[in-house]
Amino acid sequence: MDLLSYLVEALTPLNLMLALVGVIAGTVIGAMPGLSATMAVAVLVPFTYVMGPASGLIVLGAIYTGAIYGGAFAAILVNTPGTPSAIATTFDGYPMAKQGKGALAISLATFASVGGGLVGGIALLLLAPPLAEVALAFGPAEYFWMAVFGLTLISALSVGNTLKGLIGACIGLILSTVGVAVVGGDVRFTFDQVSLLGGIDITSAIIGLYCMPVIIDLVATKTPHLNFASASGESSLTSAFQLIIKRKFNLFRSSVIGTIVGILPGAGGSIAGLVSYTEARRSSKESEQFGKGAPDGIIATESANNATVGGGFIPTLVLGIPGTPPDAIILGALLVQGIKTGPTLFTEQGSIVYTFIYGLLIATLLMLPVGLILGKYAYKSIAKTPKQLLVPTVAFLTVIGSYAIHSNPHDTFVMFSLGVVAWVLSKFGFSASPIVLGLVLGKIAEQGFVQTYLIGSAQGRVLEMFFGRPISIGIILCAIFALVFPLWMARKKKAVTQDTTLNHKTSNIVMTGLVMVVGGVLLTQMGGMSPLGSVFPSYILYAMLGIAALLLVKSLKSSSETKFSELCVVPNGRQLGVIVVVGGWTLSMSTLGFALSSLLAFTLIMLIANFDKPKMFPMLKNVSVSVVIVGAFYLLMKEVLLLRMPEGLLF
Amino acid sequence: MNKNKIARLSKPLLAAVTAGLVSFSAASFADDYPSKPINYILPFNAGGESDLSARFQQTVFEKHAGVKTVIQYMPGAGGAVAWSQLNGMEADGHTVMGINIPHTIMQPIVKDSGYKTEELTPVYYFHYTPNAIFVPANSKFKTLSDLTSFAKKNPGMVTFAGSGSNSANHIGQTLFDKFTGLTTTYVPFSGIGPAMTSLMGNQLTAGFAYATSGASAGDKLRMLAVSSEKRLSAFPDVPTFKELGINLVGGAYRGVAVPKSTPEDVRVKLSNIIGEINKDPEFVKKMEDNGFVLTDISYDEMDAFLEANQKEYQGVAELLGLTK
Repeated sequence: MDLLSYLVEALTPLNLMLALVGVIAGTVIGAMPGLSATMAVAVLVPFTYVMGPASGLIVLGAIYTGAIYGGAFAAILVNTPGTPSAIATTFDGYPMAKQGKGALAISLATFASVGGGLVGGIALLLLAPPLAEVALAFGPAEYFWMAVFGLTLISALSVGNTLKGLIGACIGLILSTVGVAVVGGDVRFTFDQVSLLGGIDITSAIIGLYCMPVIIDLVATKTPHLNFASASGESSLTSAFQLIIKRKFNLFRSSVIGTIVGILPGAGGSIAGLVSYTEARRSSKESEQFGKGAPDGIIATESANNATVGGGFIPTLVLGIPGTPPDAIILGALLVQGIKTGPTLFTEQGSIVYTFIYGLLIATLLMLPVGLILGKYAYKSIAKTPKQLLVPTVAFLTVIGSYAIHSNPHDTFVMFSLGVVAWVLSKFGFSASPIVLGLVLGKIAEQGFVQTYLIGSAQGRVLEMFFGRPISIGIILCAIFALVFPLWMARKKKAVTQDTTLNHKTSNIVMTGLVMVVGGVLLTQMGGMSPLGSVFPSYILYAMLGIAALLLVKSLKSSSETKFSELCVVPNGRQLGVIVVVGGWTLSMSTLGFALSSLLAFTLIMLIANFDKPKMFPMLKNVSVSVVIVGAFYLLMKEVLLLRMPEGLLF
Repeated sequence: MNKNKIARLSKPLLAAVTAGLVSFSAASFADDYPSKPINYILPFNAGGESDLSARFQQTVFEKHAGVKTVIQYMPGAGGAVAWSQLNGMEADGHTVMGINIPHTIMQPIVKDSGYKTEELTPVYYFHYTPNAIFVPANSKFKTLSDLTSFAKKNPGMVTFAGSGSNSANHIGQTLFDKFTGLTTTYVPFSGIGPAMTSLMGNQLTAGFAYATSGASAGDKLRMLAVSSEKRLSAFPDVPTFKELGINLVGGAYRGVAVPKSTPEDVRVKLSNIIGEINKDPEFVKKMEDNGFVLTDISYDEMDAFLEANQKEYQGVAELLGLTK
């Protein structure tokens, strides 16, 4: 089999152009929170019917890989992952941007994404059939332990504040169980709201949890959003390249983790990013820098999530089982073309498959110039945009992004509510990341747990199923190590981590009490549930009550250190205004229509975020910019992505 | 005061405009339907049987309807999220939604799902996928009787992977237990994909899933029996449950529904389009190769079909103790 001859087929001008267009479109879509690769790929599938299989697949693959990479832009610049794959990119990317190193962070993400994408793509090219066996070696028990391993990241993310981090994780895990349970079929924690039957959408929750607090705090003061280091003459490109070369082992390890996690159906880029971030932090000599702008954090996440693209195609092509939702759509496109997936695909349809894989690799390489050019402008424009324009634009993105996921205003409302809750909680020392981790990993953890239990008890060997399988034992050991190591390091360097967070005794006690009350109320809801549906949430609730009790004891013992006013928990006028406007926006969208409500809210937020004396000319300019932004998005969503937009009084 | 005035003035105006729009669009419905691309909303994620069969329809849709169709996904709560919103969508026939039995019958019986079975308006049920029992290729069970005799000696030990709880797979497995007098363990997964992966990896004894899974799995899985009336053309060597003396027939029907205020003549036209696609040889071949069984339940036969199914699944629900 002559692999190289297929490379020539992939290098036709048409295919090259398709790959380039696909990567650009994918990067832009991925950078918008809420707009996803799945959406773009779903719309474009019909074009592949007329285009010829290999070329069609190259476009879809290029969009997919571009979108996974594009997610990093929003993560770095506005602290909101553009796609769930970029969750862990926010941990270090946003701090870097705040330090004025946003361009460097984007360059790092670009190199890492290209590196990861190449490793995943080469694995797909050379090792697909044997690697597909990895997917088969992972049973429910391994999925469960992998989720647990991801959750251990909480101990690292919340050093000095572990109890609050754990409570946050429990909140996230409980949120993941809302709606109709996959296992058991029970309706859980919906409080008879039909709109909650489908559960809490992860993407809209992430947008709310990360982005709403940023918006609310942006309008509080006049300080600019990002520190734009205009003075830095050195090219971020060369320094990024040097940083990557020094960390090539991290890049390679994270890419391998990403490839393997990508192979596992149902896991996907977000988990790959979190797992390799945890591993990178554990093995790093400067692990205390993680979360404060460590280049290693960005490299780990971004190389891992782009590696899942190639990895995800392995089970899709070899076993006919899609690794991720975009893979599922691409698999459908293949079947429609009459291409049978399976082990014989690589020999019988070699021309299509290998041309596609080369196309994917070429698209990955094209991310380098595309990303560096787009990234340069993205950072500059975000840093230079005046606040009165930036805040409404970001708010606009959160609202339409959370709407676009399912064309459902309900998701927007969930985004808003969780966002406000996250903002309040953050003032009391509960950060958003543990909640997000719980939410993302909860479903996998629960299903793995109950399935393992069912299989184990059917055969009378529950303990063996959980603790006796070789891969499980390996993951458990890593998890223990990841859990204990940061605590041990923290103890060793006690001086560094001594309570940097705000600590107010009375409010701590009130918040802990509130958590316990909510936990208690939820426990009373478990009455009529089947054992399958109730076992996981009840364990989590008991754990949450236990941890909250510990925190209560700890708070009672501590003496108040910070003044209540330093918590900044009472919103000032502008903050309150933004909350009210975004809330009203989400509620009025279906009656007023998308365009009218957006223009109204956009203008209002612009006024709220304006700290200068209102002048005629700049105001008019900003209003016209807002019309252009809203209009452009309306067209993108309605005419290009063909989403159903809420129509109201006007249009 | 001022507000009242505006309201008083604008109300009749609005009413007139609305009435005008409605009569205008109602008049234009019948003649030139379909006049623009049809939004085809699937109540599930990409990658399932609903998606695949809709994509097969999409390839030949323009040939028969004169317009394209755009497939969108609105997953959640096993389809209930989309179905509970269907009647609020534009009712001019350019917005249609995938619809499934037993899902739309069982969900409202088991719990409050935000819609009632009678409120949904299917216009055509175009195929069904029978259940099938799968084992991994290297399993020691070569025939269904190998499996049942093992299950008889070891109650509860046989584990079945399937998609979700209270689903068509789950119902099939429960009826199988009932008809054979066996006790097996059903393990729900979040979809057919994860269930079949676990099965291929020998994590469970067998799978209770749609026969279509057999088409993509190739030689990694062995199908022991299928719950159709007749053997499937894609798998001529696989016996039906009936042949083996187990009266298990059924699976999941899939069709196309419209919002309930969609005009009668548009419903009929849509039903005719779907019916024509069902006769397209290119479409038929793709569907059958992938293990789907085509059915032609058109709009005029819908009431009788629904009634029969409703009766049957009410019985099943009582049997399973699922009624709320």
